[in-house]
Amino acid sequence: MDYDVAIIGGGPAGVTAGVYSVRYNLKTILISPLIGGWIGKTPYIENWPGEPEAVSGHELAERFHKQLVNIGTKILESEVVDISKEKAGFVIKTSCGQTIKARAVILAMGSKKRKLGVPGEDEFLGRGVSYCVTCDGPLFKKKRVIVAGSGDSAIISAIMLAEYAEKVHITVKGPELAGKPYRIEQIKSNPNIKIHYNTMVQSIFGSKCMEGVALNNGKQIKAEGLFVEIGLIPLTDLAVKLGVKLESGLIAVKSDMSTNIQGVFAAGDITNGCNRLNQIITAAAEGAIAANSIYNFLR
Amino acid sequence: MNKVKVNKVRVFSTNACPYCHMAKDFLKQNKIEFEDINVEENEAAAEEAVKLSGQYGVPVIDVNGTIVVGFDRVRLKNLLKI
Repeated sequence: MDYDVAIIGGGPAGVTAGVYSVRYNLKTILISPLIGGWIGKTPYIENWPGEPEAVSGHELAERFHKQLVNIGTKILESEVVDISKEKAGFVIKTSCGQTIKARAVILAMGSKKRKLGVPGEDEFLGRGVSYCVTCDGPLFKKKRVIVAGSGDSAIISAIMLAEYAEKVHITVKGPELAGKPYRIEQIKSNPNIKIHYNTMVQSIFGSKCMEGVALNNGKQIKAEGLFVEIGLIPLTDLAVKLGVKLESGLIAVKSDMSTNIQGVFAAGDITNGCNRLNQIITAAAEGAIAANSIYNFLR
Repeated sequence: MNKVKVNKVRVFSTNACPYCHMAKDFLKQNKIEFEDINVEENEAAAEEAVKLSGQYGVPVIDVNGTIVVGFDRVRLKNLLKI
């Protein structure tokens, strides 16, 4: 067997599991195409303990990476394309063509951005439509942009874009914004952001690039950019392959982060372990618990 | 005498884009020299990146005149023959 533990996913859950697992002297590999996961694409983080000033997501992701390297966790920058259970453990196949065997696994694949599912979304992807303000936002200086969504991510994105875009529109599905109260105050008082309540994007139009969106109220907003921030979908495909039980689309975990399959533990956004709070700190906590449980399981 | 072809590589990126950092790290690891162009600080460069790629996204990587959008390790390897 190559490793005691294979951690699949490099977000806060996977990284914390990686740190704890090595500290338990378990031979550990962490497989992920992007260490930090969504953190690296988050403009700034204000609720991570020990950071009195807001820390940029990229900076925090880099620190996570450094910590893994310093502590000696083996990192494989790759996607996992297949996983199966054998008598003695698990066989994992990666997109870079490697096969890895491990006695136990921690599934921490996290989630992907939810799409609007409207005409034009795929057609104008990269040509106006984006799912990452941190990455692509600066290309929209002095341009008109729309943010679709009502939660904290959408609000932060709109506030960030308002610093350099000509005008920011935010389309909110319901009658109210759903973010934290102080952020709602921030966005409401920003003169460069127009909030459209009870509004949904129905289609995206343009020619070479996106030129605007049609709304469910029959109106249109002309804009060069649309940032979609309507939530996340858990990436549970590998869990399903292993026969792991899901509940409401999330991996059902016990309090020790174990699943219904022996040797399979899970942590982070893909589990039902944090009462859907889905924060960096809850994912990290689940990662720590999962590593501790694997240590007890393998002993 | 054999001429050694020197690659001309430009990377258009933003400060916090993780794939931009991955692309630049990849080039550094393979000892490929490149011009690092920050489109957040250079508005004309931002316009050039959009014009070259036809897209509003980074990284935009110009390898000897061929434009690669995003961090595509395999494509970069092929273009740079590494």
